[in-house]
Amino acid sequence: MVRKKKNTMNTKARNLIAEDNPKSPIAEQYRTIRTNLQFTSVDHELETMLVTSAGPSEGKSMTTANTAAVFAQQQKRTLLVDADMRKPTVQYTFRIQNMLGLSNYLAGTQRVKDLVNTTHVDYLDVITSGPVPPNPSELLGSHKMEQFINEAKQHYDMIIFDTPPVLAVTDSQVLSNYVDGVLLVVRSKQTEKEAAAKAKEKLDQAKANVLGVVLNDQEITSSSNYYYYYGQ
Amino acid sequence: MEETISLKEIFEVLKKRIWMIISLAVGAAALSALITFFVLTPSYEASSQFIVNQSQDQSQNAAYDINDIRTNVELINTYNVIIKSPRILTEVSDELGLNMTAGQLADKIQVGNEQESQVVNVTATDTNPQRAVDIANTVVNVFKGEVPQLMNGVDNINILTEAELGPNPAPVSPNTALNIAIALVVGTMIGVGLAFLLEYLDNTIKQEEDIEEILGLPVLGVVSTISEKDLPKKNPARGRAKVSEIRGESVGT
Repeated sequence: MVRKKKNTMNTKARNLIAEDNPKSPIAEQYRTIRTNLQFTSVDHELETMLVTSAGPSEGKSMTTANTAAVFAQQQKRTLLVDADMRKPTVQYTFRIQNMLGLSNYLAGTQRVKDLVNTTHVDYLDVITSGPVPPNPSELLGSHKMEQFINEAKQHYDMIIFDTPPVLAVTDSQVLSNYVDGVLLVVRSKQTEKEAAAKAKEKLDQAKANVLGVVLNDQEITSSSNYYYYYGQ
Repeated sequence: MEETISLKEIFEVLKKRIWMIISLAVGAAALSALITFFVLTPSYEASSQFIVNQSQDQSQNAAYDINDIRTNVELINTYNVIIKSPRILTEVSDELGLNMTAGQLADKIQVGNEQESQVVNVTATDTNPQRAVDIANTVVNVFKGEVPQLMNGVDNINILTEAELGPNPAPVSPNTALNIAIALVVGTMIGVGLAFLLEYLDNTIKQEEDIEEILGLPVLGVVSTISEKDLPKKNPARGRAKVSEIRGESVGT
């Protein structure tokens, strides 16, 4: 990370800003998202959620990782699960091996404890996707998935799933049945209005509890006040 | 979509695509300059003038009779037609060896008199400055010779000015400055139109308001574009200086 970096998708995707630069306004924005997420569920606490988007490369993985990190910073035991078995990325963000992961649990007899990777972020553990299976949607919809969530809940306060795009595959729709809420990521100037509406429609069809939207990559204009913050 | 467009929004749209607009305008101007210089053939103008006057033997005294003048002025209309008639022009064409029909030659000639005066302007336009001069002069000369025959002996044509070839004849058309100015304006207009068209066709979500409007979902947060200064200077958490894995970005899954 010492090398000169260009502001590209790749570096962003592998950046855990909320942890690496917690004083940055970006980290503050993730903390705002955390706060708002906690306020979305009034009657029972939000314990499991998944992050998805309408199309590819809209910032799901980055949002997932940073949201997980800010939950962990609150000293909540947080588990980040890479449920995107089509194009897993979590291992890049945290620089870990993707030898064992979620697919091993769903298709085998592993235990959650055995699959967990610790990270350099306190209170944050990660389970990667595992070897890419031929039938991700079926695995995610299986009884094993429910079992996985129940088992993980015993060890963690907050479980966040990174998932594939809604419009591409049905995985996130399937998984949305097992989690408390769904967070939809929208990338400014990239997500088309129709696509976003269609994604919401698909999630609604799956009876998902869509908590809300995160607007990603919003251009900073001089008039926006997102960049005002105290201290540095 | 019911939308009110404020002046500010219009300004924003233009500002966003200002380079596109500028480059279109400059490009159009450059293109028109190139076409003007290299494609269009320049054409030159030459004018000769003659005066329509009663010959000396008809008017004994030098005092002008107003009726004479009026007659002359009205004659001019007749002369204008005569000048452009094949009878005159074929002879001009033969004399200069132009290989042109009277019609073609007529297109190169403009005849007009200056505001009710007795002076008639014959202006010839040609791609060759020398030929323009020749045509203007020959037309007037041939006409002067033909008039007595046509008008039953009336000889009231006096040549006032002969067309001359200047040392540096400037082409009258194409007007380079005007063409470039027109192209500049047209290019700017196309650019502005295109800017608004692109803005209109761009149906991506841009702001929080769009989300609330389209999805009816609460916006839980906004993450700004990550800039260089948001990234940590160095990473104390991991002492790794090298990035080993590169994430491959592909579209689709």
